[in-house]
Amino acid sequence: MPKYILLLHDNVSAFANVSPEQMQKVIEKYVRWGNKLREMGVVKGGEKLSDEPGKVMRAGDGQVRVTDGPYSETKEVLGGYYLIEAPTYAAAVEYASDCPQLEYGGTIEVRQIDSM
Amino acid sequence: MGDQGTSGPGTPHHLVDHLFRNRAGQMVAWLARVFGPAHLDLAEEVVQDALVKALQRWPYSGIPDNPSGWLLTVARNGALDVLRRNASFAGRAHEIARELERATKGSDEDSTVEDDELRMIFMCCHPSLTPDARIALSLKTVGGFGVAEIASAFLTTDAAIAQRLVRAKRALRDNKVGLELPAGQELAERLDSVLAVIYLLFNEGYSAHAGEQAVRQDLCGEAMRLGQIVTRSAHLARTRAPVAHALNALMSFQAARLPARVDENGELVLLEDQDRARWDHGLVARGFAHLERSAEGDEMSTYHVQASIAAVHAGAATPDETRWPAILALYDDLVALNPSPVVRLNRVVALSKVEGPAPALAALADIEREPALAHYSLLPAVKARLLAEVGDLQGAAGAYRRALAEPCTEPERRFLLRRLAACEE
Repeated sequence: MPKYILLLHDNVSAFANVSPEQMQKVIEKYVRWGNKLREMGVVKGGEKLSDEPGKVMRAGDGQVRVTDGPYSETKEVLGGYYLIEAPTYAAAVEYASDCPQLEYGGTIEVRQIDSM
Repeated sequence: MGDQGTSGPGTPHHLVDHLFRNRAGQMVAWLARVFGPAHLDLAEEVVQDALVKALQRWPYSGIPDNPSGWLLTVARNGALDVLRRNASFAGRAHEIARELERATKGSDEDSTVEDDELRMIFMCCHPSLTPDARIALSLKTVGGFGVAEIASAFLTTDAAIAQRLVRAKRALRDNKVGLELPAGQELAERLDSVLAVIYLLFNEGYSAHAGEQAVRQDLCGEAMRLGQIVTRSAHLARTRAPVAHALNALMSFQAARLPARVDENGELVLLEDQDRARWDHGLVARGFAHLERSAEGDEMSTYHVQASIAAVHAGAATPDETRWPAILALYDDLVALNPSPVVRLNRVVALSKVEGPAPALAALADIEREPALAHYSLLPAVKARLLAEVGDLQGAAGAYRRALAEPCTEPERRFLLRRLAACEE
């Protein structure tokens, strides 16, 4: 069965004005979504990335330069990923479609893991 | 999620109702005390950040076993960060840091938390704030409601509420209002103001109907929660706790009836037609307990009388067992304390139950032309009911039509239409 990575991009300003009650409802939605996928047996992994920017490594002038970053020019930041199993892209998208990520200006990038 | 250990069966899958809202309110009250009330905006930011961190992390890690503790720890760390980065706290940094650590050691528990909440609501009801501002600020800070929620609760715009909050905070800063509780006469007056705000919140929630957003109905619960904080406070024990108990009694009795107030079709059910088995009897019991405590002082406030009226209704197992003469006598007391046209109108209803519709119609004639009742649909509705009882169906129909011409909620409108139809049959 093919695997897909779900890359969850957060809209960093999305929750600035959302009320505590609303945030609780979103978390409960996330938990229900995650539980649903786990009960289906399709989750193979997933992690949250730390908030601070990491490092960007680039070669130039014959050496490797390391800088802090990346600093997103858009409002979006890669917040985490899930690794899921699904028969097709359509199925993978379907599994991700009720993730609350999508309700607050975030995006989900779905990429199939290449199987040789 | 990734780590099965924290997300397997047996770990929390949901949060207690309104946990985030209540904790947000408590933490804002705490940080406003620790940083100082002039830094209310900062307190709100730190708390909001902590909630956002939970929102970003818990989907992956699962809900922690102690969500409140997690939030408090993150808020404390956020506050310590602010302390480090913000030069204006330099002089008090050590003292503030110590206070932040103390709260998260878990030694102080509920009494300190409620004390902070009490101080906050007393501050929000300072006389320098307009009544609208007091309500908005109370809900935003100790209530933990968001701007959009407050706007929809009070049927206004986000921008209007945001502006009210800005002005309220400015007024507090300009008047150098702090979190110290007033004393003596000032405390008594501030308590009146706090109770008025609480009761206003309750009424907004109570009048909300099923078709409206849930947040309006939530206001009842929030008002009662604040009322409990007031009566539990040691600061008020010796002074005017009885009047706060009277308000709590009134709110408990009214809230007890909420489950029976609307039928399965979402239609309004009058008190006399309600299925009393659906009343929340726990709340009724709480009402009687508060009513007893309210009798401990010398004071007889309008809350006392209203609560006593509600108690008579609550004590009747069926509408026929309602002791209307007792209610009428209580309305006489209420009118003596507050001769407003609305109160006198409510007394007319009680009068009709004791002496019949004709004397009630005569009493109604005295208040019909009060300007305050000019657009109050309840006035013609009561008149219509009384006219129907004396057999004047044409007069009743006319009065129902007049009632329908005034502003009323959708369920009220449907109710009046049904009554009108019954007259015209």
